[in-house]
Amino acid sequence: MKVLVVYCHPVPESFCAAVRDTVMGALSEAGHETRLLDLYAIGFDPVMGCDERRLYNDMCRDQHPMPDHAAHLAWAEGIVFVYPTWWYGLPAMLKGWLDRVWTPEITFEINKQSGVIKPLMTHIRALGVVTTCGAPRWWSYFVGHPGVRTLTRGMRALFARRCKTVFMAHYLMDVSTPETRQAFLSKVHARMKAF
Amino acid sequence: MRVLVLHAHPVAESYNGALHRLIVERLAARGHVVDDCDLYAEDFDPRLSREERIGYHEIGPNIEPVRDYVERLRAAEALVLSYPVWNFGYPAMLKGFFDRVFLPGVSFNIVNGKVRPCLHNITKVAAVTTYGGSSRRAFLVGDPPRKAINRVLRVIIKPAAPVHYLAHYDMNRSTDATRSTFMARVAKTMDGF
Repeated sequence: MKVLVVYCHPVPESFCAAVRDTVMGALSEAGHETRLLDLYAIGFDPVMGCDERRLYNDMCRDQHPMPDHAAHLAWAEGIVFVYPTWWYGLPAMLKGWLDRVWTPEITFEINKQSGVIKPLMTHIRALGVVTTCGAPRWWSYFVGHPGVRTLTRGMRALFARRCKTVFMAHYLMDVSTPETRQAFLSKVHARMKAF
Repeated sequence: MRVLVLHAHPVAESYNGALHRLIVERLAARGHVVDDCDLYAEDFDPRLSREERIGYHEIGPNIEPVRDYVERLRAAEALVLSYPVWNFGYPAMLKGFFDRVFLPGVSFNIVNGKVRPCLHNITKVAAVTTYGGSSRRAFLVGDPPRKAINRVLRVIIKPAAPVHYLAHYDMNRSTDATRSTFMARVAKTMDGF
């Protein structure tokens, strides 16, 4: 499978970088073809500008503001997101990538009368979400895991009907130990190898 | 009351832009002191940088990159958020405000690994937003944006402070009638704020 790994963390030596490397390694070991998109490294601009917003609802394929990113989406059969959960959500950088890259005619089509959304990313048959959270598990679920759900329910609705979903989180990062982090990396490795 | 209005929409002549103007106008007419923070107009950078992430937990120095915004947040007694829901979340512009400005020592402290909210100067919150999709679709997804206000933001402000969540769903099929009904609802809430 062709797997696009979307990675978002500002600090190259962070634990998230180790998670990314584990994901990339496990996917390669399993024989998948991978591409890495490191949003901070490429200096992605997450801010949707005025003209782009004006055009958005009727945006055609050839008006896409970042065709190379659109090409990554067309290429992928699986997507894995690796990021830290901040304020229970996606970092602004990653949120902006979804807002700017996942445009109409590429990822979905809206029937103007019924408002029904037709998914256009049905070539994606596996979604992975690997994140770190400062909060405990029970509290994250109580607040509804807004970031994760944006991906596993909101964006996933645009994928193949039977798209497989893998979600993993290391909770309580602020009191994590080398042991909990290592255990998490091992789990990530095992589940990504079976992606 | 001193009210910080946080607005995030790139197009001034949009419906969200109209809601923003209505909010500011009504609050000012009621005698509130309005600090109107239009994040696009102020060219806010929503990206938390490497240096900011490394210094994130150093209370005091951590506010330096965004000192002006921290001071405006601390001076406020109430908060009104005006933004569109995009992809079941805040626009990056507003999400970045939380990432960069709601820092340890500003909105929360960490005591023995546990978060202790401390944005107690905020005694009232209103969120005014629009969704492209229907409320049914939002409900099926778990309505993350609503929970981000009613569960996340609610617990870091003054305990038991009132929180209003005003949303116009189904913008893709909205009409003049639905939009003006919603404007009236927003106006009423702002008048009673």
